[in-house]
Amino acid sequence: MGIHFKTDETFRDDFSYRNSDAAVLRFPFPFGEDTYRYSVNIEPHVKAGPSPAFEHAFDVDEHYVAECRERAIVLDHDPKRCQVLPHMMPAQWDTLELLMESLSTDYPEHFSLTRDGTAWHWINRPLNLDQRFVFGDASTLPCEPFEYITRQAQGDFTLQDQRDNNLYVDGGMVTTQADWSLEFDIGMSFHEWHGPVPLAHEIGVFDRALQYLLRLQYGHPVRRLNWTMTINPRLDTSPENYPDWGPDRTTLTAENIAGKLHLRVELQTLFRLPRSNAILFGIRCYLISLQDIERVKKWHKRLHRVLATLPPELVEYKGLIRFYDLLVSRLAAMDDGTPLSLGIQPDQTQLPA
Amino acid sequence: MSDQFIKSRPVYQSLAVDSSGLRHLLVSDSPAFSFAALPGQEAEIWFVAAPDQEGRTRPPEAGGGRCFRSPRHLIDRLDHRLARERMGLRLYASGTEDFLWDVFNTAQRAGMNKQEIFQCHSGTKARRVACVHCRTFNHAVTTTIVRCEGCGANLFVRDHFSRRLSAFMGVKVDAEVAGDVPPAEQAYS
Repeated sequence: MGIHFKTDETFRDDFSYRNSDAAVLRFPFPFGEDTYRYSVNIEPHVKAGPSPAFEHAFDVDEHYVAECRERAIVLDHDPKRCQVLPHMMPAQWDTLELLMESLSTDYPEHFSLTRDGTAWHWINRPLNLDQRFVFGDASTLPCEPFEYITRQAQGDFTLQDQRDNNLYVDGGMVTTQADWSLEFDIGMSFHEWHGPVPLAHEIGVFDRALQYLLRLQYGHPVRRLNWTMTINPRLDTSPENYPDWGPDRTTLTAENIAGKLHLRVELQTLFRLPRSNAILFGIRCYLISLQDIERVKKWHKRLHRVLATLPPELVEYKGLIRFYDLLVSRLAAMDDGTPLSLGIQPDQTQLPA
Repeated sequence: MSDQFIKSRPVYQSLAVDSSGLRHLLVSDSPAFSFAALPGQEAEIWFVAAPDQEGRTRPPEAGGGRCFRSPRHLIDRLDHRLARERMGLRLYASGTEDFLWDVFNTAQRAGMNKQEIFQCHSGTKARRVACVHCRTFNHAVTTTIVRCEGCGANLFVRDHFSRRLSAFMGVKVDAEVAGDVPPAEQAYS
């Protein structure tokens, strides 16, 4: 058994990224109801849920190898996409331990960790890495421990330091982000780095979320889903590179929208770290094309209903304005208005060709 | 939109002496500042000469504080001073927003914590704008849109402020449709 990795996919240039049928059916579709509103939709990150993506601490899928390669490309252009402030070294080791322990426990056919005191041996078979090192001694790794291990994981990660009854984003590996800049935001408090988000401050979402997260307990991680839309399966939609990907938003037509437009879902997970008392925030990005969503009847109709009732501020904030009408009218044509089951599960086990 | 709605922008107070301090140092980016030391508590004052002085300073013996040629000149000296300070200093900064956070970051690197640093915004509300694309700092920006001195992009000045960079974020305004640049409005003077 084991995952069959699609090793030659790209997330730039020719955009050869595709989901297999199995990857479509396990997609963490973010809409459990017919309308979407902001909420503190945080739940315990237990190894179960309506999508197999929830069944491991850190989900690994068929895109793993290609996403790690894409991350390396971004870092080569811009090493500051990975930064950790100097006081966060204990949190760096916490992160390395959590990821190595989780991956080797959840996917023993792909990863292995052997510990003998502080002498550790890590094997990553999909990336063909074999590393012996001394836990706690950064000089025994090819780079700092946070960068070392997050280069071997899908999705972005940030490190939150907890002090003064607040959380500060004091480090991160951010190469697959939905339009926010680590270089600009590093060091900010919780409300500062969420500053640009519309509507949510006024209804107290961030106050409540912060209070909740300050009480996050070791061994009891939590999760939520967030979403936006991206033209082409492009992981690096950073503000840094907006001049390069911004023009994509004007390229959609009735003929190409189904293949080019992608729903972008973030499975966000939060883990309290044991030594540093910091919080590791995982932002795992999943992309699915509109044409693949349309192969799942329930998701097709639900996406129509959610978008048709989305507040205009969110249409703007999520960058949907230029193609919103085209998208909603296309989806409407196939929505007969029948009631849909609550929850995000696809309600089918096969896809039409 | 009023600045009150900028979540990442601090709210500044007027300055008052913190009586828990043993020594007090006020730094100002202009000769015009308002600061009243408590009776019996000496405050040391450092300030930047007016631009019409064109590099002339005056000796500290003249009284009224120590005079510097530019904000950079002052902060350079402050860096040296704070490296030799002991516990008990209280630092007060008066000036434009970018100066306040340059002072703050200098003090924090020297080991001072935020309870020991006080900031009062005065003078121009012009913004320092960091281009998120090429990382160039554009100084004294008073308009909603500014052409980046580094990469040439027309940047929209977002209401998002980084204390670490002492700067607002600039994002290319016509990234989606080249040339679609709205007229710049005078906004922060």
